[in-house]
Amino acid sequence: MAEPAAQTAFAEEALTHLDTLYRGALRLTHDSDQAQDLVQEAYLRALRYQHSYQAGTNMRAWLFAIMRNLFWDRFKGSRKDDVSLDDLGEFVLYDKLKDEGARPEADVLDKIAASEVVAAVDKLPPLHREVVLLVDVEGFSYKDAADTLGVPIGTVMSRLHRARQQLQKSLYDYAVESGIVRLTA
Amino acid sequence: MRCEECSDKLDRYVDRELNDTEALQVQLHIEGCPDCMDHYEFQDHLKRLVKHSCDCDTAPKAFREKLRQILS
Ligand SMILES: [Zn+2]
Ligand SMILES: [Zn+2]
Repeated sequence: MAEPAAQTAFAEEALTHLDTLYRGALRLTHDSDQAQDLVQEAYLRALRYQHSYQAGTNMRAWLFAIMRNLFWDRFKGSRKDDVSLDDLGEFVLYDKLKDEGARPEADVLDKIAASEVVAAVDKLPPLHREVVLLVDVEGFSYKDAADTLGVPIGTVMSRLHRARQQLQKSLYDYAVESGIVRLTA
Repeated sequence: MRCEECSDKLDRYVDRELNDTEALQVQLHIEGCPDCMDHYEFQDHLKRLVKHSCDCDTAPKAFREKLRQILS
């Protein structure tokens, strides 16, 4: 066990990343109570294994990895054979909106509520969702995301690309259903 | 640079993952190509939209306090 002072310093630094872990857990579990359980367990585990953390490396990535591994162990029984996303083509939303004669950014992106974007993120398969969380929401580099998820950088890039296509599709469907976009057909 | 290559590199451009030379090539292309500029602005806007939609969730205060006590 570490000295109390060192342990406190470690815990203090670890807690500066709480929002990242909580947000990630919330988007993975879709439930605040489950997210809090998951994050609490992740922190306890991090404290127990703090000797395996190399000072000066990315603690946020290290903590997130512990949390998401717990998520997969606990909720998915470690089965990562996730739903795969089809290649939907480039710029799904953008192209469709152009076809409808809309201005994709001004007419649509600006009018979509944050809650709808969150819903679209939540609908992504979890392996794709976590890449979006790391890269888009938390601003991780591809390299840090790859290390966190234990996959090659190429996998991060392909999951991210498919995830963004899928997000565009969900947002397009929402824009049509809600009347933000009116189909001209 | 042709549009196809620009489109291939757009994710990495938006994510600031290209090296300086590649980033400059993409930048020069989109500045002269309204189509690619539109695609870029759309992708960039979507990325920011996702970030701002999700990052408003922060850990509840009571939870933070509870953790602080557990961990100290
Ligand atoms: Zn072009
Ligand atoms: Zn925000």
